[in-house]
Amino acid sequence: MSVLEMKNVSKIYGELKALDNVNIRVEKGEWVAIMGPSGSGKSTMMNIIVCMDKPSLGEVFLDGVDISRESSRSLTNIRRDKIGLIFQQFHMVNYLTAVENVMVSQYYHSIPDEAEALEALDRVGLKDRAKHLPSQLSGGEQQRVCVARALINHPELILADEPTGNLDEANEYIVLELFRQLHAAGTTLIVVTHDPEVAEAAQRTIVLEHGRVAREVINEHFGAKN
Amino acid sequence: MFLRMITASLLRRRSRMLVALLSIGIGATILSGLVTIYYDVPRQMGAQFRNYGANMLLMSSGEEALTQQAAEQALSVIPAEELVGASAYRYVTVQLVKRQLSFVAAGTDFEQVQATSPYFMVDGSWPSGNREILVGKQAAESLGLRLGNVIQLTYKPETAVSAGAEDQVAGATLIGSAEGFGGGLVGVTVTLDDEARIASLTVDASSQTEGYGLDAQEEAFTRQFIGQSLPVAYGDGIDALSGATLTSQAVIDAINSAGRSDSGVASGGNSLNMTVVGILDTGGEEENYIFMSMADMVALTGEADRLDVVEMSVSATSEELQAYVDAIAEMDIGVGARLVKRVTKSETAVLAKLQALVCLVTVVVLLLTMICVSTTMMAVVTERRREIGLRKALGASDGSIRAEFLGEGMFLGSLGGLLGSALGFGFAQLISVQVFESSITFQPLLLPVTVIVSMTISALSCLLPIRSAVAIDPALVLKGE
Repeated sequence: MSVLEMKNVSKIYGELKALDNVNIRVEKGEWVAIMGPSGSGKSTMMNIIVCMDKPSLGEVFLDGVDISRESSRSLTNIRRDKIGLIFQQFHMVNYLTAVENVMVSQYYHSIPDEAEALEALDRVGLKDRAKHLPSQLSGGEQQRVCVARALINHPELILADEPTGNLDEANEYIVLELFRQLHAAGTTLIVVTHDPEVAEAAQRTIVLEHGRVAREVINEHFGAKN
Repeated sequence: MFLRMITASLLRRRSRMLVALLSIGIGATILSGLVTIYYDVPRQMGAQFRNYGANMLLMSSGEEALTQQAAEQALSVIPAEELVGASAYRYVTVQLVKRQLSFVAAGTDFEQVQATSPYFMVDGSWPSGNREILVGKQAAESLGLRLGNVIQLTYKPETAVSAGAEDQVAGATLIGSAEGFGGGLVGVTVTLDDEARIASLTVDASSQTEGYGLDAQEEAFTRQFIGQSLPVAYGDGIDALSGATLTSQAVIDAINSAGRSDSGVASGGNSLNMTVVGILDTGGEEENYIFMSMADMVALTGEADRLDVVEMSVSATSEELQAYVDAIAEMDIGVGARLVKRVTKSETAVLAKLQALVCLVTVVVLLLTMICVSTTMMAVVTERRREIGLRKALGASDGSIRAEFLGEGMFLGSLGGLLGSALGFGFAQLISVQVFESSITFQPLLLPVTVIVSMTISALSCLLPIRSAVAIDPALVLKGE
């Protein structure tokens, strides 16, 4: 069963077609990269996938539920329950410690559990940095906290928006390594990126141009590094 | 987690929160300070007004004279802490026989007088021993009295035991007095002929107005009484002095009172030598009186336990005073109480104006506080747009965003309220000491009230900022921003 399916989806702003009749499927456990130049409709597609926007036309199924007709309140609930988000600029609450930032996600989802949050930090190798404020963490460390935060509620889908865009190579490697582990554990991953290297780490790459799916590339070398 | 987030937000973002806390704190300070003053003003102003003299009087309401016991019984109605002072007065007319002059003398308790009439200015000292008197400034001037002078005061009972025109002794010399114009006494000396008709009449109208009442001393006026039988009245060939009817009436009353008096013989009465220890300056009618201790008054009159009026200074609102008056009337002990309207009315009017002013200032300050807090919170929301977006992206509902900001606002409000309560008390104390020269008591109830009002004010101030926080689009945390 597919985690995400977009059927004939268009998003139209006046004259501009940000998305033009897009059809994609992402299966459970799949690791998909979405690439495309600026203005290709990546952001619009991402907003629709993470329930922050609705398509003008077409249907979007997330975990079998058509989210194109939901109210914004239930979209918030769906996002909270099914999606883990990772951002280019990390976005941490700057007055909360690493572990508290993870717990914020638990708080909105269900009940904060510090032990579980610490365990998630342990998975990204930051257990000893749990009590540090974001300003005391490096960019790579912050992004790893964000990975821990994204997976803490066991989402159906993790969407990462340029997750390595602000990282150096060493940290990029660490983050991609974390993605490999998540993928191995059966997590569905969608990574939006400019970076061909990051895209190549995925099983499949969807390339967008002018609001349309220009091509899909299967990464033949996938798994070779593992 | 909610509390953890809120306290972290407040504690780890100190500078911004300090501004908000400060504005709430200052607002709460003014609020609690002014409210303290608002509630304390009646007491403070009451104390000020007590300087203008008694606001309540006790008098006999029946035939019987007022006694010490009845007065004390009536006084028991008034709580001790509200009673600033109660001075009993016994008024009699005394005569300086050598000078043929009469004065009103008052027996009282000087300690209480100083409490009820703080405006009494004494040149010299307050009497503290026996046979010491305080002489009103006007009386002292007319008598040429100075501090240390000794005068002989004579008391002759005016109301006789067995009065009656029939008792008039033929050939006797009678003296009498009555109150004339302006409260001054008019004295008469009457001799009766063998048929008990007036043979001669001397009038002492020195307390009366020159050119009007003073003319009562003239032969032209007194001769019309010669040959009349007592009691005398208008008609029968007796006419009033033109322009001085009160003095004329006083002469008639004095003659009749002399006629009724069985001991009205000039040689009667009780005399005491008194030392002038103080000259009294009040700017009022008291300047015409002579004041002595109640013990001296008893010694002079031989009448113990008899009061004419008790002047009281009570620290209470006009409603409370009226309640005391009613309560005393209900006791039915022959004592009537009444309010000195001139004092109580003006006190009420001034208080109402002051309280209205304090109210207005409080409302303005609270509005300013709201604007200030609202602006600060607005800046906070703008500053935290990304964080709010992130929270929404992580699944925060509009409700949780509202709750978090409201929580922060109210937490600040309660802190500011506590701060304000403490500072406000100091502020009120300062004003009280500076303006009213007295300290105030801490009102425990004001603490929760200030905290609740501060919380409400900050919650209200947060409403607009919260609206813009809720309107933030979570998509801003994705690309581009």
